[in-house]
Amino acid sequence: MALDKDSNVYTIIFATIMVIIVGGLLAFVSMSLKPMQQANVKNEKMQNILQSIGIAETDGVTREEAGAKFNEFITRRVTINYSGEIISDKTAADAIDPLDKLDAFNIDLRKEYSRYVKPIMSKNKGDDEKIKEALKQSADIHFPIFVCEHGGTKYFIVSTSGKGLWDDIWSYLCIKTDGITINGTVFAHKLETAGLGSKINEKWFQDQFIGKTMEENSAFTPIKVLKPGKDLNNHQVDGISGATFTGVGVNEMLARNLAVYYNFFKNNPEFTK
Amino acid sequence: MSEEKKSEPLFSKKNIQLIKNPLNQINPVTIQVLGICSALAVTVQMDNAIVMSIAVMAVLVIGNVLVSLMRNIIPGRIRIIVQLVIVAFLVICVDQILKAYVYDVSKSLSVFVGLIITNCIIMGRLEAFALGNKPWASILDGVGNGFGYGLVLVVVAFFKEVFGSGTLTIPGFEKFEIFGNATDLTGLYAMDYMNNGLMLLPPSSLFIVGIYIWVQKARNPELIGE
Amino acid sequence: MEYINIFIKSAFIDNMVFTFFFGMCSYLAVSKTVKTATGLGAAVIFVLLITVPVNYLLETYVLKEGALAWLGDDYASMDLSFLSFIMFIAVIASIVQLVEMLVEKFSPALYGALGIFLPLIAVNCAILGASLFMQQKQFANIGQATVYGLGSGFGWFLAIVLIAAIREKIKYSHIPGPLKGVGMAFILTGLMGLAFLGFLGFEL
Repeated sequence: MALDKDSNVYTIIFATIMVIIVGGLLAFVSMSLKPMQQANVKNEKMQNILQSIGIAETDGVTREEAGAKFNEFITRRVTINYSGEIISDKTAADAIDPLDKLDAFNIDLRKEYSRYVKPIMSKNKGDDEKIKEALKQSADIHFPIFVCEHGGTKYFIVSTSGKGLWDDIWSYLCIKTDGITINGTVFAHKLETAGLGSKINEKWFQDQFIGKTMEENSAFTPIKVLKPGKDLNNHQVDGISGATFTGVGVNEMLARNLAVYYNFFKNNPEFTK
Repeated sequence: MSEEKKSEPLFSKKNIQLIKNPLNQINPVTIQVLGICSALAVTVQMDNAIVMSIAVMAVLVIGNVLVSLMRNIIPGRIRIIVQLVIVAFLVICVDQILKAYVYDVSKSLSVFVGLIITNCIIMGRLEAFALGNKPWASILDGVGNGFGYGLVLVVVAFFKEVFGSGTLTIPGFEKFEIFGNATDLTGLYAMDYMNNGLMLLPPSSLFIVGIYIWVQKARNPELIGE
Repeated sequence: MEYINIFIKSAFIDNMVFTFFFGMCSYLAVSKTVKTATGLGAAVIFVLLITVPVNYLLETYVLKEGALAWLGDDYASMDLSFLSFIMFIAVIASIVQLVEMLVEKFSPALYGALGIFLPLIAVNCAILGASLFMQQKQFANIGQATVYGLGSGFGWFLAIVLIAAIREKIKYSHIPGPLKGVGMAFILTGLMGLAFLGFLGFEL
């Protein structure tokens, strides 16, 4: 058989066959590995939420255990909007439906931050009132609250997201029944400088937040990261030396998000009973 | 690897050279200056460097074999695109497998896995070697170049991690704290030793590779050509 | 304002060469004289300016989860993002080819200046890297993506022209033999990278 490798027909047939084979194989690989990948993402989120609670039973929970333990500890999943209205309220008995975009577990704060919050903030830069007004009006911004009941005490796990030096940072904070005291945190980041800003996900940094409060004289006072080595009051923690901008990002993120949760807990006393 | 050792006769002198040369005389990174982007960017921690080397080596070896097997049927005019498609296909597989089985590593490598596609080492070897050689020689060439690449990555990562964070992370082992614990101020840290923050920043990789080339060329004067 | 910010950030702060080491291969290989460096740099800006928006459209309307919703409800839950690497590189390779042909036909002068560099660009990781970062950054509209492509290209252009200028001068310096050439270029790039770190946290 005389195959002319340079003929147009041969080139086109070759390209077509190759595209079909490669496409088919890729679709197969992606389909067969997808469940495992999705489970990884889901379990990691559950692991983060559980680890932030700050009780011995969920301390150091691994990603594999997270799925089972999540349902054991998290009894209620609530989604509120910027004004503090409840828009979704699920209990542990309701399975997490990946298609229900309003389920607190499915709220992707990082996506909402980059898609909706960031444009608002950069458009109204320097005008805090305008930013607040615009955030309030946006229907696309949600705030998840996970309720954990353990030993007769309620804990609320809330989630925040913002921007560090390079890219996204986000955190889960566990708040005690009083609605103002931090019981545990998990911070995470996407691209902070390794060894500097990336230290926000280290235990010593996260543990500093335990016991800090976000209230002073019955008014909201955000928790702040200072430069390392300063005297600290009840709303301040030590920063990471050399990672000034990550600290600035953490402060902005906490101040903006915690205010919403603070007001929600204040205005809904029955929730925190 | 074990298979290669059993088939001893296949290791003619020429074939051994295929593995040995890329480690030093024609090292893809330091001498041929290929594949630098990933070599520099994933070296803050040892374990990332090792996983990245393994991924590149896997793509390189399999890609070499595929191209070598197909070398007689690939139409000359679209060979670059065909090679790109093969590499992209393999890289997607690697990426999907990492995401499914070693999720933590895939998170820290992020976009750099995708950049294996444009890693010039791979395209360079496919074009320059696999397209004109038999599969077995192509495998050896892939392994050799993969090791040559991995060697540089590991050396850079070693210096960056040890002096930048004072630790050493090797997959499968606990994190070694070489100088003691920086937070609890034990070991050397008790004597006011500080980690060098510069080592963690991007430019330090460039300094280390520069010095690596200096040392390498000083030991092999025949490499000073330009 | 948003656009200026994206431009400055992609050109100076997240500089392709100094912070991500993208496109280092051609950066080191083609930076011996300022003239060729300018040519390649311009070609990179040109290609990034086209490929990033095209890949943005591809990402938004084909690849992303739910992106196929415009085809009807049946397709709304399709997620083709696993194909993104292969699609991006295919788009880049074909656009580079296309650009080469168009430039050759309509502007022989420009082709004379850029022509030899265009084929090199398909395997320049700065190009694919910019598309992958564009995918991660989730820009709100195509304008932002275009500015990002332009900024990244400009940052790369700046880097290669600067290093070429330094390398031209340094030829006359007394450098230890083994360090000459590539070794010194690495260390120089490191020093320039340190200087660019000064832009960190800069925002308008």
